[in-house]
Amino acid sequence: MKRATQATETPQVGRSVPRLESWLKVTGRAEYVHNLRLPGMLYGKIFRSSVAHGRIKRIDVSAARALAGVHSVVTAAEVKTLVPEPYYGPAFHDQPVLAVDKVRYVGEPVAVVLASDPHVAEEAVHLISAEYEELPAVYDEVEAMTSKAIVHETLKPAGTFPDLKHLKGRSNTNVALDFRLRRGDAAKAMKGAERVFEHRFRTQQVMHTPLEPLVSVAESTDSSLTIHTASQSPSFVRIEIARLLGWPENRVRVRVPFLGGGFGAKLYIKLEALVAVLSLLVHRPVKVSLTMEEQFFTITKHASTFRIKSGVTRDGRIVARDCEVWWNGGAYADIGPRVTQKSGFTAPGPYDIQDVSIDSYALYTNLPPAGALRGFGIPQLVWAYESHTDMIARELGIDPVEFRRKNLLREGRPQATGTRMKDAALEKVLERTAALLEWEKPFDHGSGTVRRGRGLAIGFKACIANTTSLAAVSVNADGSCTVYTSCVDMGQGSDTAMAQIAAEVLRMPTESVTVVHSDTDVTPFDMATLGSRSLFHSGNAVKLAAEDAVRKLNELRAELKLAADTPIADVFRKKYGMRAGSVMGGGNFIPPYTPPDENGQTENATPFWMVGATGVELEVDTETGRVRITRLINVADVGTPINPRIVETQLSGGAIMQLGFTLFEKMLFDAEGQLRNASLAEYKIPGLLDLPAEIVNEAVVAEQRSGPFGAKGVGETATFGVSPAVANAIHDAIGVRLTELPLNPEAVFQAMHK
Amino acid sequence: MLKIGEEERGLSPFELAEPRSLREALALLGADGVRPLSGGTALMLMMKAGVLRPTRLVNLRRLGIDQIERGNGGELRVGAMTTLRALEKSPLLKEWPVIARTLRTLSNVRVRNVATVGGHLAHGDPHMDLPPLLSALGATVTIAGPKGERTTPVEALYAGYLETTLARNELITQLLVPAMGARRAAYLKCTTRSADDWPALGVAVVLDGRKTSIVVSAATDRPTRLASVEAAEGLRIESDLHGSAQYKKQLLRVYLARAIHEARHASH
Amino acid sequence: MRRAIQFRLNGASVEAQVAPHETLVEVLREEFGLFGARESCGQGLCGCCTVLVDGTAVSGCLYLAALAEGAHVQTVEGAAELDAVQEAFIERAAFQCGFCTPGFVLMTRQLLDEHPDPSEDEIRHYLSGNLCRCAAYPEIIEAVKLAARKRRQS
Ligand SMILES: Cc1cc2nc3c(=O)[nH]c(=O)nc-3n(C[C@H](O)[C@H](O)[C@H](O)COP(=O)(O)OP(=O)(O)OC[C@H]3O[C@@H](n4cnc5c(N)ncnc54)[C@H](O)[C@@H]3O)c2cc1C
Ligand code: FES
Ligand code: FES
Repeated sequence: MKRATQATETPQVGRSVPRLESWLKVTGRAEYVHNLRLPGMLYGKIFRSSVAHGRIKRIDVSAARALAGVHSVVTAAEVKTLVPEPYYGPAFHDQPVLAVDKVRYVGEPVAVVLASDPHVAEEAVHLISAEYEELPAVYDEVEAMTSKAIVHETLKPAGTFPDLKHLKGRSNTNVALDFRLRRGDAAKAMKGAERVFEHRFRTQQVMHTPLEPLVSVAESTDSSLTIHTASQSPSFVRIEIARLLGWPENRVRVRVPFLGGGFGAKLYIKLEALVAVLSLLVHRPVKVSLTMEEQFFTITKHASTFRIKSGVTRDGRIVARDCEVWWNGGAYADIGPRVTQKSGFTAPGPYDIQDVSIDSYALYTNLPPAGALRGFGIPQLVWAYESHTDMIARELGIDPVEFRRKNLLREGRPQATGTRMKDAALEKVLERTAALLEWEKPFDHGSGTVRRGRGLAIGFKACIANTTSLAAVSVNADGSCTVYTSCVDMGQGSDTAMAQIAAEVLRMPTESVTVVHSDTDVTPFDMATLGSRSLFHSGNAVKLAAEDAVRKLNELRAELKLAADTPIADVFRKKYGMRAGSVMGGGNFIPPYTPPDENGQTENATPFWMVGATGVELEVDTETGRVRITRLINVADVGTPINPRIVETQLSGGAIMQLGFTLFEKMLFDAEGQLRNASLAEYKIPGLLDLPAEIVNEAVVAEQRSGPFGAKGVGETATFGVSPAVANAIHDAIGVRLTELPLNPEAVFQAMHK
Repeated sequence: MLKIGEEERGLSPFELAEPRSLREALALLGADGVRPLSGGTALMLMMKAGVLRPTRLVNLRRLGIDQIERGNGGELRVGAMTTLRALEKSPLLKEWPVIARTLRTLSNVRVRNVATVGGHLAHGDPHMDLPPLLSALGATVTIAGPKGERTTPVEALYAGYLETTLARNELITQLLVPAMGARRAAYLKCTTRSADDWPALGVAVVLDGRKTSIVVSAATDRPTRLASVEAAEGLRIESDLHGSAQYKKQLLRVYLARAIHEARHASH
Repeated sequence: MRRAIQFRLNGASVEAQVAPHETLVEVLREEFGLFGARESCGQGLCGCCTVLVDGTAVSGCLYLAALAEGAHVQTVEGAAELDAVQEAFIERAAFQCGFCTPGFVLMTRQLLDEHPDPSEDEIRHYLSGNLCRCAAYPEIIEAVKLAARKRRQS
């Protein structure tokens, strides 16, 4: 291994440094919780509900307990001996560690078998039986608004978010948040508009399917607990577990190595509360690792319905927009209410519209819970508003790119919240996408049974606020550097980016920086690795910490009367008379934010805007409805990339994932709420043969002035426009409009023959 | 008190037998819960899903039935334990290019490395690719049982969804595919989700002078021969996760025409 | 009902106590602390559990450990030095989370053994049984091409 601790003048940011952990990953030696085994460890296997909504009348675990090799069987009764109120969640304290009294979806954990042989535990799970008194269930998000089937008796907001407080104690409702935004008077403006268009769009429930399935391990003493977990939010896990147990935070340690993918699946509490309680109950280390199948019963992406209505002038200016969005949150709120609000306020799209009205509803239903998935609700919204945009343009006979140009939010103009756009390269991204598609040139639409089409779509996202990241940077006596952050590298390359940022400040090669993986006993607080916030927030914190370290080093140099360019190792040698000591810099980053008023208005809704557009060229087989993407163009404003190569892989990776959600991925439920395709054999994700023939990625020249070295997040940006760009291109090819995802061959074929 | 040793070694769900001759293997079969094991790829999936809980598996790998050769009548003879991959790579397949083409998109390389011709034909899942093609080509299998050998057309192997006409104490030992002669053939599979998915529909077409053999699978509960192109309309098709019955009927119309077209233009 | 089986593992002779129902990927993990082959889909579809048995790639999740008796089992941990394929994967940034990477590396080696200069179509087909949810596919294709060049040059 190279050990360079020499100072360098070579810029470290903007360099495509190979990931620091490359060697570990290509040799199979990277650490994942998946690999962890502890002495005396028991494996937990979960018994799950077979009904969508029911009161638990009886759970019979006697046969399971009697099976040779079974250590114990745990149900809510045992959980409650340790945690009387065993409910967790980031927005609502609604999700039980194991089902208490009621089950709310098929697949909900009801009991756990512990054994040192996972096969035995699995075998014993089949010996458990439960009886339920079935209750009426609701699955559709719009029906859930008025359904008599009520998923939760009373609403229990967590108290963390001010905009949920008013829901406390509400009963007889499935609405977990009713976000509203009013700017101007949309109804009046709509009446005055020359043309009015109204459409309704739907998205389906899908699943993240990280290839490393969810996994957590807990080990405990009576007064301390260590949780090793594949989590994107170690700091939250610590806070929430400490709250459940009524322990001080410093008794709970949460460690996170590499993640085998996250995409939002590994946020907040997933298995952590369960393994913590199990370990404390049995005084042994406990591991619960889900199978790929079980992941489908754990966390998913919101299905949604979006009614969108626009008032437009005859020459194509959008004057009013009315949005109503229903988010299918499943049985537990998870982060759904945040999705409803944080994404909800961008529902009218990146357009300059005077009068806007938005109602966005988070709904409980009897399906597996939905949370964040690469985009935090944005892909669902862009799907609707960019399909709608094309539909209007075509109705008005205006070129879709021209129509967008006419209405695009320009720098400095207020968005629906009233917040002015800043460092959001909407125009550039739109223009580059059109240019890469050669939009001005004639396009061959094919003939016979193969028709060709092209389309584009542009979306934007406000980074979540109000969130904090802390970091520390230690400069060691030999001049090497260690970065401490609770930012989690789940594949997005944050370790490398953080090292590059620290190295840039400290003027040393990135390779001489190491990044300590999240360990709440060691690494400082970080809100979570989600929503493309980490490069900006953690990156800024690391930058501040490195600057602090530089300041302290310079103070040392001054104190020792050393020249300003004295190598770090010499400074320490002079100070301590030998190789000893270190300097620790700290950074605390929390960008300014103003909470919205009761009309959703605020001057400062977000620390930064992400902008992404997609261009698509495709072929439709008119006899079968099959769509083949021939060209996929991803254009994004990522500010100034820290690591251009990693940025590029994020763009194409995000777009390909969204292509799966666009073309075929779908969780299929039967009338009883049973999932029919919970495995990779029946829930298909894109493989190499599904890859478009050509993929073009471009990060436009841009700068996020408040970002670390001009950078901002990129993890989700390329997902925004994919689905509507494909639908728009299908329309261009065969003149048929699809309003519901996925756009699979059968759906296209049926639409052609309606 | 629980002893750790017992705790860890509590489970022995099945026994694995490794006979060294066909006779020995046949003697081990027949009882309840006993299954032959070839590549094990399909068996493992069924066992993992809990649909199959055998007490004994009889591994056929030491029986020495894995040769590929051309018989005196120009036919292709494939030992049941030949892996799909060995078959795919066999130079003999130059004379049966349609089989090589079909194997290329059958499952994936790792599965083909392990899965065997015998296991493939004995499994009875209608979504499999070779049964319809081999049926259309008029292939037969040799079956060994306690009373000796019998030969049966591949087409006659299937009784329904995951059901075959093999007795519990019978083994497929060899596959025989007649020479192509002047025949031309095509097999098309259609997937409706990802490209690497199991087929929603498989259509095999063999043209022999004026005679056309058509065998359809995946959309049906077993490989099913169509007497004519028109017979496709009357075929019973069920809706499933790959698509509605109505849509799969449309796919059948389209793919049938395309398979015939491809067969016409195939070199073999 | 465990029994001892002997086999070679990455060149060394080893013995393990295995139950008939245990898969190869489990035994490598539990008995030998090798984690490069890892179970994800458990159904032969994703390739995360890829190992070589007597030089041929198999899905360790569908392969009974007992059948490895007498065979040579190789995992990604086998080689001490990075080979052309691993170097190419690093240079082309052909992974993100890295969970699928050992499987892709092993399959790419097999592909290049069979087709030293593969076409893009051959690459896509040969690796179609390996899934990458991070979708590093474009970079993987590039890495395979680069590895082929590297191999030919050396
Ligand atoms: C990931 C994956 C994807 C797949 N995709 C496809 C696909 O796209 N198309 C396709 O066609 N197939 C596909 N398959 C199925 C694959 O072709 C079969 O699993 C394989 O052919 C079975 O062969 P095997 O030797 O492993 O059989 P085994 O699993 O050993 O046996 C299968 C069945 O046959 C019985 N049996 C085995 N040998 C004999 C014998 N000689 N005589 C009598 N009975 C016997 C067994 O008891 C068992 O019931 C896929 C499989 C997997 C795992
Ligand atoms: S885990 Fe074996 S192929 Fe996916
Ligand atoms: S790199 Fe994450 S699954 Fe391939």
